[in-house]
Amino acid sequence: MFGVYDYSFQWEDERVSLGVERRGALHVYYRRSQSGSVEKIIKGENGNIILNPVEPLNLPKEITKYLEFHFKPVVIQSESEVTIYLTFPIEIGVFLQDGINYTAIDIFSFSPQKYSLYGTSNQGVITRHVETDVFDRIPKVDDPLATGVMELTLKNSSRSWVEVTRAVFDNISLNLYYDDFVAMKGQMEIFSKSVAETTTVARPLLEGMKASINLFVARQISLSERHQFMMENGVGD
Amino acid sequence: MGWLDTVVYDNITYYHLVFFAVVIIAAFAIAKIVSVYLKKTMSDRVEKSELDTLIKIIQVGIILIGVYIGLPRFEFDLADVVLIGGTLTIVIGFATQKVGSNFASGLFLLLERPIKPGDNVRIGTVAGIVQEIHVLSTIVRDYEGIYVRIPNEKVFTSDITNFVTNVARRFEYSVGISYSDDAGLAMGVIYRLLEQHPFILKHPGPSVFLDELADSSVVIRVTIWCPSEVWWSVRTEMLREIKKAIEAEGITIPFPQRVITFANAIPGAGKDKERVS
Repeated sequence: MFGVYDYSFQWEDERVSLGVERRGALHVYYRRSQSGSVEKIIKGENGNIILNPVEPLNLPKEITKYLEFHFKPVVIQSESEVTIYLTFPIEIGVFLQDGINYTAIDIFSFSPQKYSLYGTSNQGVITRHVETDVFDRIPKVDDPLATGVMELTLKNSSRSWVEVTRAVFDNISLNLYYDDFVAMKGQMEIFSKSVAETTTVARPLLEGMKASINLFVARQISLSERHQFMMENGVGD
Repeated sequence: MGWLDTVVYDNITYYHLVFFAVVIIAAFAIAKIVSVYLKKTMSDRVEKSELDTLIKIIQVGIILIGVYIGLPRFEFDLADVVLIGGTLTIVIGFATQKVGSNFASGLFLLLERPIKPGDNVRIGTVAGIVQEIHVLSTIVRDYEGIYVRIPNEKVFTSDITNFVTNVARRFEYSVGISYSDDAGLAMGVIYRLLEQHPFILKHPGPSVFLDELADSSVVIRVTIWCPSEVWWSVRTEMLREIKKAIEAEGITIPFPQRVITFANAIPGAGKDKERVS
């Protein structure tokens, strides 16, 4: 499904149908699904339609830029690291492209959304909540249009054992890649039970995977971009 | 054009005044052009509040440069300036005590930042959305869309409630159900409903518990945390959904009831005691 298409693009499965129709002198993008219908008139002759997986932070409304994974406890010895695999929901972005310019015209998802609070209400942040199992290798994803895989390297730089059950990532650093499934790579360096730093790695999980458009970066250039997220409210429950 | 050389005061001529006016008007015009240009080119890349601040700083800078360019033409005698300036300061100081107080309050507000444009707030008796914070006053659009200007001194000395400073907030409902209904079933229905809503936070999670055995109903208390940004829409939506969900399970929300016991028999009732409910 993901890729670059011209205006003759049509796609359909049992959950959604989308594409571009010609209506007189205009092109009309449409999406019909159980969650609702979208129609947008496109004025432009030589553009492309891009379908990309995007960070799951836009539905039902964009209220945060933080993605929080909750998983079974992983206990890590001091001065050691471990690589685990997690799953996360994805959203699908529909972009119009003209040369180097592109704009998102629709975002939809086959996964339910849930939000949470990391930290306290006065000093914490709202996060998109992701409940995931922990895998020791790349898990097989049943629905690649709904679920992606994250390779997360946990590095314990503290002087004691640390139990980790969550990881929070800043949206601006999320780098999604896709092929048969969607994936991203992340790192988390733990300094103590209450402080850790997370970032994602701008490299594909498997060779040949294509980079997806980062929706947050596409939308705006912030005056204060941060590529890491400092977890100062703990790494466990 | 000989009138331009006419002296107005000391060695200040009409030429100086005209030059100063032209420079200031030009500075204002340039500031306006730059502001429009920045809005056009940067509005899609910079947050509106950040852009507004940036534009204000640039505008003030341009106008100050204009004043700097225009002023030296007056060639003031420093002693006169000090004398006139000192007198004016005393006069203006007395005349504008309130203005000075508002100005100082405005500076403190900018430093402390209890509110910022876009925040939902209550300042004293005014509730609404902060539009702008000026040096002397704060502009609020109340929830009926009315423009309210509050002097900064009043803002600074009033109780300020900012509904969105904290990223999440809690609200609650009391749901009364009939004594004949299954309270466990009702609580389960409500909890499942809350779990499905994306903006009802997972952590801290919602709480549903039996709160009171009241006169007419069993009261279930529902507490919910959600992002401050969307709390009002969630609050209004969920009350409707809870009512719909528990009624769909056959659970009733009773009217107030009284059990009245008569001490003496009611004629024709055929019983010693008649119970009316």
